[in-house]
Amino acid sequence: MEIRIENLTKAYGDFRAVDGMNLTICDGELVGLLGPSGCGKSTTLFMLAGLTEPTDGKIFFGDKDVTKIPPEEREIGLVFQNYALYPHMTVEENIMFPLINRKVNKKEAKERAYEMAKLVHLEGLMDRKPKALSGGQQQRVAIARALVKKPKVLLLDEPLSNLDAKLRIETREEIRRIQQEVGITTIFVTHDQEEAMSISDKIAVMDKGVVQQYEVPQSMYLEPENLFVAQFLGMPEINTFSAVVKDGAIYCGQVKLREISGLSDGTYTAGIRPESFEVREDGFAVEAAHVRMTGRDLLIYFTLDKEPLRVLAHSDLQIEKGGAFKLGVRQNQIMLFDADGSMIGKY
Amino acid sequence: MEKKSLKGYLYLLPALIIILVFTIYPLIKAVLMSFYEGYSIINGSFDAIGLGNYKELFSDKVFRKALTNTSIYVVFVVPCSILLSLLIAVLLNSKIRCKGMFQTLFFLPYVTSVIAIGIVWSWIFNSNYGLLNYVLSWFGIEAVPWLNSPDYALMALIIFSIWKSMAFDILIFLAGLQTISPDLYNAARVDATPKWRVFLKITVPGISPMIAYAFIMGMINAFKVYNEVFSLFKSSAGPANSAITVVYYIYDKFYNSADYGVASAAAVVLFVIILALTMIQRAVSDKKTA
Ligand SMILES: Nc1ncnc2c1ncn2[C@@H]1O[C@H](COP(=O)(O)OP(=O)(O)OP(=O)(O)O)[C@@H](O)[C@H]1O
Ligand SMILES: [Mg+2]
Repeated sequence: MEIRIENLTKAYGDFRAVDGMNLTICDGELVGLLGPSGCGKSTTLFMLAGLTEPTDGKIFFGDKDVTKIPPEEREIGLVFQNYALYPHMTVEENIMFPLINRKVNKKEAKERAYEMAKLVHLEGLMDRKPKALSGGQQQRVAIARALVKKPKVLLLDEPLSNLDAKLRIETREEIRRIQQEVGITTIFVTHDQEEAMSISDKIAVMDKGVVQQYEVPQSMYLEPENLFVAQFLGMPEINTFSAVVKDGAIYCGQVKLREISGLSDGTYTAGIRPESFEVREDGFAVEAAHVRMTGRDLLIYFTLDKEPLRVLAHSDLQIEKGGAFKLGVRQNQIMLFDADGSMIGKY
Repeated sequence: MEKKSLKGYLYLLPALIIILVFTIYPLIKAVLMSFYEGYSIINGSFDAIGLGNYKELFSDKVFRKALTNTSIYVVFVVPCSILLSLLIAVLLNSKIRCKGMFQTLFFLPYVTSVIAIGIVWSWIFNSNYGLLNYVLSWFGIEAVPWLNSPDYALMALIIFSIWKSMAFDILIFLAGLQTISPDLYNAARVDATPKWRVFLKITVPGISPMIAYAFIMGMINAFKVYNEVFSLFKSSAGPANSAITVVYYIYDKFYNSADYGVASAAAVVLFVIILALTMIQRAVSDKKTA
């Protein structure tokens, strides 16, 4: 089912937790709602679920305006940040609960619960209480409980935040698999950009209650609309510094980075991703202030005319602290932003 | 290490001495006294050791009355108080105005002297101009002689005690309700759960430890009921001893009749009853949680 959000706003007194949100999510897509803590992700999700009443704006599921419809009639499945499994019921009872409430007869409810359990690989755990399950298993119970009533929309609120690194990756793939199998329109809230980029069809980046950009992951990473998005996406974070454009070239301090044309002289904010540098004989000379091995890559800290920057190089590069090397920036990889933080272009 | 633990025991000593002198010693003494026949409190002499006091106790009609009354009292006060408190706590915990005021209001009986409350309630129960009879008169019910008739005295005592013990129950239930995650209620809403099922499947299990605690504390306190009788019936046990309870009986035997042996025997019987119930309760709740 297509979801359309129009001018959605939630105000607490003077404070706007969500501010004039517009978003259209196509049928069957998985959209990652990404943003720092407190930016209004949960509030948005709770408004979609009907648990929080919007101050302003409308929500459409398909052609139907659901803004005033209570949660139990919205045909949504919701997975909470802390799973919110019913602690005194077994896994089986938890999954059956939404069906029993909807007066599905016991036998059918049980059959559907077992079908769901199979989908999320929970067979054999049906008699356990939530307390006796691992974080990942609890999370799958929560998904099964959300999906068993065959909702039209699945809403997930940071479902992976309680899991360890390895389990997070496994479980997010699992979520993607289940979502594709069921073909359900899904909104996935997270503050982990890598998580969002790896499983979403599209990402909406939020900050201070406002959607900053809504794009497919790759385009968003390569063509951020503003500085916030550029800084929020990417690990390690993008290098930013104040750059000067004069005499048809971009400078970092006294170092000429790129010859360009068609841009008026002035000061801009430049952004260069750490992986956008390349070690090159005809580049500018720098000295490694600090070298950190991350496994696949080397993260080298250096200064370029007093500007502290980082470069991500392949781990086979032989360099030590204090060592000198030469760098250039790959074509089209210098992003320039104006004073408001809007992207002007890539050079 | 050795020194440290010695110091720890030293800190405990004052409390230990007080407990030994005022709890353990009287306990042992009471058990001993219950077996002494012809005991004199002046010089501590007695004629014989035996079950004479117990024989006398169980053949005493007043004691049997006290035991029956106390049992009826426990059976009504404890569950009624828990049920009503549960409902009120749930209401208080929902989004209502003046929540704080209501919470204070319901907690007042707990911090107010039983004697003072008893005076108020003896006015409420007054057969001629009491509030209760006035309210009942709206429904065409004739004036009930709550405190003056042996038929109603125990009922009056029970009503009064339910109201009084609710304060504590509401308090711990409210504390328990705070521990239930609001997300569980949100999940229940999304799952289209009817209200009564939310109550039975989420609220009640969520505070079941508090309910068990209220149950056992309520029962122990109910078996020890004395102040309520004393204050409601102005230092008597109701008309014709109709609202006499076991502790009231013990008190009466000890101070008014100077029948120390029988009073001690009654105290031991009460002690054994409470001990047995506590053990049963613990066995049951252990089994449940296991
Ligand atoms: N009931 C409320 N009253 C006042 N402010 C609130 C209320 N609920 C949320 N807020 C505020 O709204 C903002 C958005 O909250 P929200 O829970 O949506 O953040 P979030 O993006 O989900 O953050 P996190 O990643 O930490 O879960 C926060 O600044 C929060 O303090
Ligand atoms: Mg949140």
